[in-house]
Amino acid sequence: MTLLALIIAAPLLAGLAALVLRRAPEAIALTGIGIGLAAALALLAGTFGGNAAQLVLPGLPRMPLILSAEPLTAVFAALVAIVAFGVLVYAAGYMRADPDRPRFFGTVLLFVAAMQALVLAGDWITLLAAWELIGFSSYLLIGFWHGRAGVPGAATRAFLYTRSADLGLYLGIFVLIGWAGTSEIQATLAITGTPALVAGLLLLVGAMGKSAQVPLQDWLQRAMAGPTPVSALLHSATLVAAGAILLIRVAPMLPAGALLAVGLVGGVTAVVAGLIALAERDLKRLLAASTSSQYGLMLLAVGAGVPVAALLHLIAHAAIKSTLFLGAGVFQHDRDSTYMDAVAGAGRARPLVFAAFALAALALAGIPPLAGFFSKDAIIAAALAAPGAALLVPPALAGTVLTGTYMARALRVLWGGATQPVSGRGMGWMGAGMAPLAALAVGLGAAFGPLEHGLGAELPPEGTAMILGLAAALVGLALGWFLGPARLLGPMLPWAQSGFALAGGMDALILRPALATAAACERFEQRLLAAQLGLVRAVGFGSASRVERAEQRILARTLAFGRMNLRLGDRAEDTDKNVIDVLIFGLVYRTVAAGRRLRLLQSGLIHRELALTVMGIALIVVLLLAAPLYS
Amino acid sequence: MILELMIALSVGAGLFGVGLYGALSQTNLVMILMGVELILAAALVNIVAFWRYLHPDEPAAQMFVLIVMAVMAVEMAVGFGIAIARFRVRGSVEMEEARELKG
Repeated sequence: MTLLALIIAAPLLAGLAALVLRRAPEAIALTGIGIGLAAALALLAGTFGGNAAQLVLPGLPRMPLILSAEPLTAVFAALVAIVAFGVLVYAAGYMRADPDRPRFFGTVLLFVAAMQALVLAGDWITLLAAWELIGFSSYLLIGFWHGRAGVPGAATRAFLYTRSADLGLYLGIFVLIGWAGTSEIQATLAITGTPALVAGLLLLVGAMGKSAQVPLQDWLQRAMAGPTPVSALLHSATLVAAGAILLIRVAPMLPAGALLAVGLVGGVTAVVAGLIALAERDLKRLLAASTSSQYGLMLLAVGAGVPVAALLHLIAHAAIKSTLFLGAGVFQHDRDSTYMDAVAGAGRARPLVFAAFALAALALAGIPPLAGFFSKDAIIAAALAAPGAALLVPPALAGTVLTGTYMARALRVLWGGATQPVSGRGMGWMGAGMAPLAALAVGLGAAFGPLEHGLGAELPPEGTAMILGLAAALVGLALGWFLGPARLLGPMLPWAQSGFALAGGMDALILRPALATAAACERFEQRLLAAQLGLVRAVGFGSASRVERAEQRILARTLAFGRMNLRLGDRAEDTDKNVIDVLIFGLVYRTVAAGRRLRLLQSGLIHRELALTVMGIALIVVLLLAAPLYS
Repeated sequence: MILELMIALSVGAGLFGVGLYGALSQTNLVMILMGVELILAAALVNIVAFWRYLHPDEPAAQMFVLIVMAVMAVEMAVGFGIAIARFRVRGSVEMEEARELKG
């Protein structure tokens, strides 16, 4: 229970921490992925010891979200954790100089968490959610260097291809849930008959999109635009593996018709993608096409009715392909390119890396005792034992031959050509990440026996298959080493180089309609926006004019008020001038006039004053004397 | 007795008349002051006469006489002070020439 939660939560929380803290993202990422790895290994040990566990979370009504730990899912979880750990260790060196490392590690960890949720999902709802999450985070990862030319287009293409194929997954899951009445994967696998056939074919469409099967293989090669660790992670055990994992899980349910379809799609892809890989002029794109081809072989094994063979090949391929991609990343670092011409001779400058690369390449081709030998033999044996052997064996053998051919071609290009001096910067981390994966690619075959036992599966007898497989691998290696792709493919070369594009290939079917729909949506949105703008403008201007009118009214009122005040002031002034001033000035004038008259009295002569005094006294005397007469 | 009073009052009136004439007719400040003195002296004579002949037992009248005499002395002091100041400035105490206070 705790382990299940820890497997998903540790990378997720570490990713969030790397995004939020933005410092020492490598340390955070490695801690998170390390915890996840330990939990996954513990879970693996536990389930193989017989302790199946389930973690049930409340989800939709009557459809809880379930994480289930059975031997199969535990194997997948451990595989994802191991590859992710190796790739992240490598990425610590590879992304050393990138300023955007927190975003890189955060997104990778999100991707890993989503992938773990996908492989551990015990119900279809969880699986669907995780499926969408890996699609989304792979879009982010492929488009990580979104400033570079062609990268956004590649990310969009990958997203659209897988999304349009997801439609099949959705419909298939709807059929399954609708028929079985439950979203639990184990319970839905019990259905049979026509619904199983329909659901199986629909799920196959979804898996074809994710696992880059013909005719939806083109996006995978273009997804090489992402950083190399991303390619290594996406191609080996995670994104591309999701389709195969899905089919391996539902294999018990598939009826014969669906199995045959799965096998045919896988067989065609194994051959076609192998031819594309052979013609490819870019090392990473060669590896990408090879991934398609190998997943074609896995689907073939599922179609042959032996999903365990597919599982073994998936595990072996995960270790092998991550080693190959990480090696290619080293060469890319040295030469700043992955074109065949540019990386020619890069292998001789780095013997250790080349040794790991070559071992992985031989393992993929199927040389004993490397891991790929056992899984590929299992596939051929499964094809031989299958009911439709006549249809399945030739593509399986052809795919094996082609695997040897293109891997030998890659080895020859890397070994031949002029060497150039190389710098050792970041090699410590990169080597540390590569070494365990290479070791797994070499020695994983020894673990297949116990694994089969743990899963309780029986592989068909391998006697003829071993001889056939080894012969095919050797023939392929010899062809690839000694003959160039031009001689091998002849007139098919340009066609193969263009990825067997039929009338624009899937682009015309998926990409252009999707982009046209997107453009139409954008036009509609623009028109909506324009309409909104018009509305806003109408409302805004309307209210603005209303506000202006109101303002003018206020202004008019203010003016009227001011005019009234002015009139009042005028009247006050009038009053002041005509009444108060007149009164005051009149008073002053009269006073002055009176003073002027009085001045005449003031002669300044004493005797006159005295005379006046006497006259005054005389007057008083007369009055006093006369007073008794009136009383 | 009334006759004696009449005589005294007549003397007073005479003095007053002389004084008044002197005060009004003279242009010299000193002469004017002299006229004023005569007027005041006439008043003194009248007061003494009334007291002596009508209310001989009233000592208050004598107080009036003393007060008037003090006023006369003061008035003289002020008047002559002005005269002296005027003389020092203008060299004359002719009041016909002193028209500075004309309004």
